[in-house]
Amino acid sequence: MMTNEAKSSSNTGSAASLELINEVQQFLYREARHHDNEEFRDWLDMLTEDIHYWMPYRYQRYRKNEKEPTIMDTAYYNDDMECLVKRIIRTETGTCWSEDPATRSAHVVTNIEVELTDNPDEYQVYSLATVHRNINEDEEHTMLGHRTDLIRRVNGVLKLAKRKIILDQNIFKNKSLNVYL
Amino acid sequence: MSSKRLESDYSRYMDLKEGWVDRRIFWEQEIYEQELEQIFAKAWQFIAHDSMMPNTNDFYTTYMGEDGVIAARQKDGSVKVFLNSCTHRGNKICYADDGNTRNFTCNYHGWAFGTDGELKGLSNEHVYDEGDIDKSKWGLQQARVDSYKGLIFATFDEEAPSLEEFLGDFRWYLDIMLDQDEGGTEFISGGIKNYINANWKFGVENFIGDAYHALWTHDSGFKAMNNNEGFPPADPTGSYHASMNGHGWEFGTDGLADIAILGQPKVLEYYEKMRPKMAERLGEMRSKIFGSLASVSLFPNCSFLPGIQTFRVWLPRGPHKFEMRMWTIVNKNMPDEIKQAINIGCMQTFNPAGVLEMDDGENWEGNTTVNKGAVTRKGKLHYGCGINRRIEHEELPGIVYAGQFNDANQRQFYERWADMMNANKWDDVPTRYTPRYAGKKTV
Repeated sequence: MMTNEAKSSSNTGSAASLELINEVQQFLYREARHHDNEEFRDWLDMLTEDIHYWMPYRYQRYRKNEKEPTIMDTAYYNDDMECLVKRIIRTETGTCWSEDPATRSAHVVTNIEVELTDNPDEYQVYSLATVHRNINEDEEHTMLGHRTDLIRRVNGVLKLAKRKIILDQNIFKNKSLNVYL
Repeated sequence: MSSKRLESDYSRYMDLKEGWVDRRIFWEQEIYEQELEQIFAKAWQFIAHDSMMPNTNDFYTTYMGEDGVIAARQKDGSVKVFLNSCTHRGNKICYADDGNTRNFTCNYHGWAFGTDGELKGLSNEHVYDEGDIDKSKWGLQQARVDSYKGLIFATFDEEAPSLEEFLGDFRWYLDIMLDQDEGGTEFISGGIKNYINANWKFGVENFIGDAYHALWTHDSGFKAMNNNEGFPPADPTGSYHASMNGHGWEFGTDGLADIAILGQPKVLEYYEKMRPKMAERLGEMRSKIFGSLASVSLFPNCSFLPGIQTFRVWLPRGPHKFEMRMWTIVNKNMPDEIKQAINIGCMQTFNPAGVLEMDDGENWEGNTTVNKGAVTRKGKLHYGCGINRRIEHEELPGIVYAGQFNDANQRQFYERWADMMNANKWDDVPTRYTPRYAGKKTV
């Protein structure tokens, strides 16, 4: 089965420089800011053309029955660039009633770890995204996603090439997932 | 000063000739409690798809109303469904969504039940004296189980009619989804569950007949999936509502619109190639119904979209909340590439992150929560669209209305709801359509 782990660039475990860690952190914070500000086209510019943006389903299973999700399974997101562009188009139609008034969201990115890979231009990056969403009169939701990213340097600029998000909820506790983790 | 808060005759919560329904049925706790007794403890309910439990001792946990149940595959290939509650002190005996096991052992005192629901053993059994317990009498309460073309159903009511009778002529329609070719269907592995703070009936009635909302609610999602083009103008010709025993299917006959929403051209090509075979098997009419703009609900709480292929149940969690469980249904015989294209298209449109689904939950929560207001909930809701459009159709069984932009299936759903809520026994539940396929196969 195919998975979205960073196949081409196996993790070497060797330490990233402080400079690189800083660069990656800034990249992730900028991404979070684009989400909070609904600057979705700017966000798309931060992705590689071959982006795989994946958030598999979650079931609660006994330890003996645990299994890794594959990209052939059900998923909240299992998107390439074309899929993501369609999602952004929805928000640009002017008829996206549930987004008007706008959602208030805050993306908090923490627990960032940067690891080098066999490919000098690709880094495996772990992070925790905590997203606070406040909508309508007073509805508040907090969502946590454990993220494993493959970040690639393209013409000197960092881009997100793969993201796997493991949601920290079994039953997703909200009516909609209208924010990106 | 007194005012009668609730009706004892549930048909007084609606007037389907005038075309209205009372808002209190979406709010009142007492009505909800009665639903658990009169509907969820009595009606056949969708439990799982066969493909979710292929092997002996595979299990899946779900709910019938608010009663937690375990469905488990037996050695002989059959499925048993029983309560997920230990007969000793009542604790849940299974906390997993699915898996494979030989026993369900209660965490509290270690009572162990087989996958057949029988009490097999007690931990430290020596603390009991001889005669304290007859284990054969303390197994888990079993439901009646039957299946229709891959869909497993159960009921806790011994008096309920057979599943075939409960589905009635709706089987003729179900075959459009379940029997397109000799291989039958399966679910894509895994599923998604989420909570919506709305009354469960808003989900069911949306899928049973509300094509109307799609044009407005889903304009943005449809444009996203269809190169920025909106839905074509509403065309009431060549489209219908069909209802029987509270189950309902609204549909067009162009064979295309819902498949197109997936945004996967190879899936459209696949079905175009397959359609002549489908027509041979199911007849021309049914082959054209499949894939058109359509939506379906089975009474009481199971729904799907033929063409888009989302399949779900709406599990009640009190009058103001439900849990939605959803899957993607495909034909077993499809090439993997087509299954995956459907999986991706279906999930991109219909799950909590789906470009269509995202807009539904907001509406249903709004429909429900406004009824906090004592004045608001005394009002009525309009269900009169297309009220005079009933027709007889030589090919289409059930109570048929012309034009899919219609409230007909919703009206029939609430009529069945009131029939069940009022009935003391199944004989009191009237069959309100004239069956054409009683005792007959539909393929």
